[in-house]
Amino acid sequence: MAVEKRVTSPLLEPSSIEKVAEVDDHVGVAMSGLTADARTLIDHGRVESQQHRFTYNEPMPLESLTQSLCDLALRFGEDEEGEAGMSRPFGVALLVAGWDAEGGPVLFHTDPSGTYVKYEAKAIGSGSEGAQTALQESYRKDMTLKEAEVLALSTLKQVMEEKVTATNVDIARVAPKWHLYTPEEVEEVIARL
Amino acid sequence: MAASLPMRATVPAAGSGVKQHASWSPYDDNGGTVVAVAGDDYCVVAASTRMSTGYSILTRNKSKILTFNPKCLIASAGMQADMETLHKVLHSRHVTYQFNHRRPMGCQAMAQLLSNTLYHKRFFPYYTFNLCAGLDEQGRGAVYTYDAIGSYERVGYGCQGSGKELIQPVLDNQLKAASPLVLPAQQWLSSLPLEQAVDLVKGAFVSAGERDIYTGDDVEILILTKDGIRTDKLELKRD
Repeated sequence: MAVEKRVTSPLLEPSSIEKVAEVDDHVGVAMSGLTADARTLIDHGRVESQQHRFTYNEPMPLESLTQSLCDLALRFGEDEEGEAGMSRPFGVALLVAGWDAEGGPVLFHTDPSGTYVKYEAKAIGSGSEGAQTALQESYRKDMTLKEAEVLALSTLKQVMEEKVTATNVDIARVAPKWHLYTPEEVEEVIARL
Repeated sequence: MAASLPMRATVPAAGSGVKQHASWSPYDDNGGTVVAVAGDDYCVVAASTRMSTGYSILTRNKSKILTFNPKCLIASAGMQADMETLHKVLHSRHVTYQFNHRRPMGCQAMAQLLSNTLYHKRFFPYYTFNLCAGLDEQGRGAVYTYDAIGSYERVGYGCQGSGKELIQPVLDNQLKAASPLVLPAQQWLSSLPLEQAVDLVKGAFVSAGERDIYTGDDVEILILTKDGIRTDKLELKRD
């Protein structure tokens, strides 16, 4: 997963923009839209995932986790006993990426309607049309991790207005454990573009 | 005047009255023995089918094994009513799991779930002694053994129920499997070929049936391999 952190002001601290997050050590999400709404979804996902580990002593399957995020996304407008329910739908789309014990790498896309679809490669956000076309042209099923890093970052580069640097992009992988790239590691991927 | 009044009420001397003690227990021991042996590519699970209370046999044909799917089952001894409830709870959890996750529950998931389910009733436990058995992700035999409140451990073979004291030492002697937790790691799956393992289990049940009045009638034997479940039956003495 590669994301752009749009630095809108020279005074902005880029490391404070978080657009990829760890849900569990086998699941990560990248977000686009109202990122504050994504926090609620991520917190929910983290709880669900830990709950699953507690009950079954195994990592939660990706589809079940995605389903539970989408269930929450549809809970707006409901009257909860004693407390206020959610007044509006979530304004955020997610890419849920992870590793299934049996199926290997999995990627899901969820949107504010609560729909989820499985993808092999997916781009979301303001530059998604161009990026998705680029992915369609270059994605291969048998790519290595290194090739995938280059594809993700070069796709992002094509649709970014600014120059790609270690400060304005984040890269994360789940292979098979979650890892958020350090600035040095990002630098190394940029060098390979 | 006052002095002539008795200062104390008279109490009957100890032992003169019949002391009646109402006692009732929510628990009953219906007996029964369950055994499981894990091999490199198989798992043998056996359970006696007699159900008793005190000196009475209630039935000669009560299955103590609940099969969830071809790779996971549980076998329980102890109190029949609690076993029935526990099996119902776990069955329903397994059905829900399949709806939610679109796959049958694996053996280690069921092992953890059984532990949680038992511990949930920590202060009014299910009077059941369980084994969770099956095949793990790699196709190897898996046996998990429990106490009544959910403490569990994966082992190479296990025995629970009224015949435990008679059978467990025989298995220890014949299979010599160390706990998988022992360091340095040792071979803890049974190295016996499948047929020998089945014979060992049958022999153990025949002997237990001689000495334990709660083990008898029939033994239901399930053999789990990658090809599915095969069942076998052993007839014990009906006395």
